[in-house]
Amino acid sequence: MRSFHLEIVTPDGLEFDGQAESLLVRCDEGDVEILASHADFIATLGTGRARLLLDGSERYASVSGGFLSVKGGEVRLVATTFEFAEDIDLDRAVLAKDNAEAALANPKSEIDERVIKAKLARALNRINVAGKI
Amino acid sequence: MAGSSMNDIKSRIKSVQSTMQITKAMELVATSKLRRAKERSERARPYYEILGEAIDSISSASELTSCDWTAGREVKRTLYIVIAGDRGLAGGYNSNVFRLAASLAGEDDLFLPIGKKALEHYRHRAKSLYSQSCEYAQQLSVGRAFSLADTICRGYKAGEFDRVVLVYTKFVSMISQLPVYEQLLPLEREPSSKSEGDPIYDGDPEEIIDKIIPQYVGGIITAALAEALASESGARRTAMNSANKNAEEMIGTLMLRYNRARQAVITQEITEIVSGAEAL
Repeated sequence: MRSFHLEIVTPDGLEFDGQAESLLVRCDEGDVEILASHADFIATLGTGRARLLLDGSERYASVSGGFLSVKGGEVRLVATTFEFAEDIDLDRAVLAKDNAEAALANPKSEIDERVIKAKLARALNRINVAGKI
Repeated sequence: MAGSSMNDIKSRIKSVQSTMQITKAMELVATSKLRRAKERSERARPYYEILGEAIDSISSASELTSCDWTAGREVKRTLYIVIAGDRGLAGGYNSNVFRLAASLAGEDDLFLPIGKKALEHYRHRAKSLYSQSCEYAQQLSVGRAFSLADTICRGYKAGEFDRVVLVYTKFVSMISQLPVYEQLLPLEREPSSKSEGDPIYDGDPEEIIDKIIPQYVGGIITAALAEALASESGARRTAMNSANKNAEEMIGTLMLRYNRARQAVITQEITEIVSGAEAL
């Protein structure tokens, strides 16, 4: 399979920089798969699982927030959080999920509720992705 | 007479020594903090660069020519986001940032201080503060920076201000930190860098851009914050280092004076003994 240059960054650092054959990621409008020679493309990312195809082997990761940009064959995934499945701290995710569920029982305000719901979604996503490997 | 001046010098040496103890401890703390902060800012740097490249490629798309996020609005009011430290004793770190901000800002401009020193500085001076919510630069989380960016973008869209400028200190090296400013909004477009035509948008272009811009602003603020924290530790380390050197020098001169005074006392005593013996 042909490969393309992929860069994945978060505020915590450069998570991936190299050749990939495919990138499947959850965008706000649904799952999108990028292959080599993709047309210029811009999408915002949702909270979900990403699948990378590197040298014929699959790697999974949890992603939330940010955007995806393809320009002249260069693919850039600028995410708010991005963790490969094997790097996910499962205990922390479970703790975050429990905390979020407890806080959701009596939210302080509407904005608060939205924030907690987003936290819960991220925690569930991490647990999901970590369980896949 | 000479004995009392000896005591004076001795107590001064002691006080300089105890000051030196404090500055030495602060230097050590700053050094270890600096290492951590430097690592963090280095980790954030690729994000900052790739984010910038991605935004450049997006902002050259034609959908953006007509939109609010790129230039085209008359600038009446500017919002200055000023990142300074939470504590003093860091040499010129805080005042350099304020001086740069003051040289840029006009009368009617708004300020958003980040960090305790910045808040204290602008609470008295600025006519209007946009927000006072960021008291501690050290504790500003990534999530908080992003929600701040959301608020800023909404304010920009609503026309509360027409330009957003970020003022912070760039970490150049261990011994050099440079106060810089950067325009966040409106996006500065590269003059006609578009060539391959417009990209495909996964959804409504305007909606997508409206979502990406706060991400961009939040990302830049996060990266700048990491730089600023590293700069603060760096500046404090340098300041404490020179304070140590000054203290050492001071102790050296005081020691010399003390020894001279001691010698003078001994000489005088000998003279007294000798003249006393002669009198017998």
